[in-house]
Amino acid sequence: MSDRLKTLVFAVVMCIVCSILLTTASRGLQRFQEKNILMDMRRNILKSVNLVKEGVPYSYGEIEKLFTDNIQPIWVDPSGRQVEENRRSEQDFRLYLYTQNGSATAYIVPINSRGLWGKIHGYLAIESDGSTVSGFTVYKHSETPGLGGEIEKQWFQNNWVGKKIVDQAGQFVSIGIAKGAVTDKIPPAKQMNYVDGISGATLTGKYLSAGIRQILQQYEPVSISFRSRPKADSTSRSKAANPD
Amino acid sequence: MNGTTAKPLTALRRTQTYRDIARALWEANPVSKQILGICSSLAVTVQLQTAIVMSIALTMVVALSSMAISMLRQWIPRNIRIIAEVAVIATLVIIADEILKAFLYDISKQLSVFVGLIITNCIVLGRAEGYALSNPPVRSFMDGIANGIGYSSILIGVAFLRELLGSGKLLGYPVIPEALYKAGYVNNGLMVLAPGAFIVIGLFVWLEHTLLKKSR
Repeated sequence: MSDRLKTLVFAVVMCIVCSILLTTASRGLQRFQEKNILMDMRRNILKSVNLVKEGVPYSYGEIEKLFTDNIQPIWVDPSGRQVEENRRSEQDFRLYLYTQNGSATAYIVPINSRGLWGKIHGYLAIESDGSTVSGFTVYKHSETPGLGGEIEKQWFQNNWVGKKIVDQAGQFVSIGIAKGAVTDKIPPAKQMNYVDGISGATLTGKYLSAGIRQILQQYEPVSISFRSRPKADSTSRSKAANPD
Repeated sequence: MNGTTAKPLTALRRTQTYRDIARALWEANPVSKQILGICSSLAVTVQLQTAIVMSIALTMVVALSSMAISMLRQWIPRNIRIIAEVAVIATLVIIADEILKAFLYDISKQLSVFVGLIITNCIVLGRAEGYALSNPPVRSFMDGIANGIGYSSILIGVAFLRELLGSGKLLGYPVIPEALYKAGYVNNGLMVLAPGAFIVIGLFVWLEHTLLKKSR
């Protein structure tokens, strides 16, 4: 009995000591980690519109400056209209505008999709024509390293640049991840709506395709307002009304 | 006293620590001789930088966990000793991971799950079970450092070859001259992939076994 009690007491004391150590480490370092995560998100936003290069180190000051100079975070309601920060409601969503000389060159949609093992977080930037992808980035995921984890790699993300979220007739179709190379698997007419898949990561591709379709569907009113906008229009496009 | 000042190297060679490190580096290297910790050696050796950070993290975890377990060795009940050891190791690994996330965020993202997987690295539990449980804390700490260095030597060696041959860089800086590429030299794509690491580790094992046989 005393032996058992000793074991139990040891286990309990051990658990408490370990918990205290872990809590201290986690709380003490939280401030630094949150800063890193925020900067990483901003760098990914900038990367999706090609304002920062992969593999080049940027200081936090540089990222901060590039972000505040070029990116304008706004909220839009389900019909695609901009809403004020303080008047936004539950169903409004986040949108980032990349503005150059007062006009939006691209808009950036936050991606929050289901993956195989957990959520995939990233950004998809679309040019001001409302249909061409200017970049895709992933900053957080829990996919298998070497398989689904390749979604964070440059080669995969490079495939997205220049793809279209609409078909040849201009109808919304989203972007799918092919099972294999696009040139082998997809008929030429649809190749602009697909990116090369990752071998060994069929499910990651499937979930991410579905997630992106759902998100882009939600943002479709915004895309429509961009598509119907006459070229070289510099008025506040985010407030543009729907064509219908 | 005179002997030690006259021949410091011989004196150094006689210390237990020196013999421990020499053993872990060579005769009983945890990776190339005991074939432990192979998973992380394959995964984080594409670049020298990640390999170095991983080596430091693992060395710190082995040394500190061995020391902590050695200090607790009189108290740890035998029937739950593995659980207690793993709890100590896991706590240290999570702290190491948190520190990397706070101060070396980019590297910690590249290392992804492999820092967390130090918990299951056989070297750590092996040293705890095989050494720390029956030796005093300072000895166990040095044993951990020695085995960490043994692991690091292979990891950094493999990463050096892989980054050099696979990407033509060292620590991210290009070292292969442009002229060589123009003359038709190409990077070896196999070295970037996990099988490349397998082959390099195999070569290390081969080299070490051959040299050890000769020295006997």
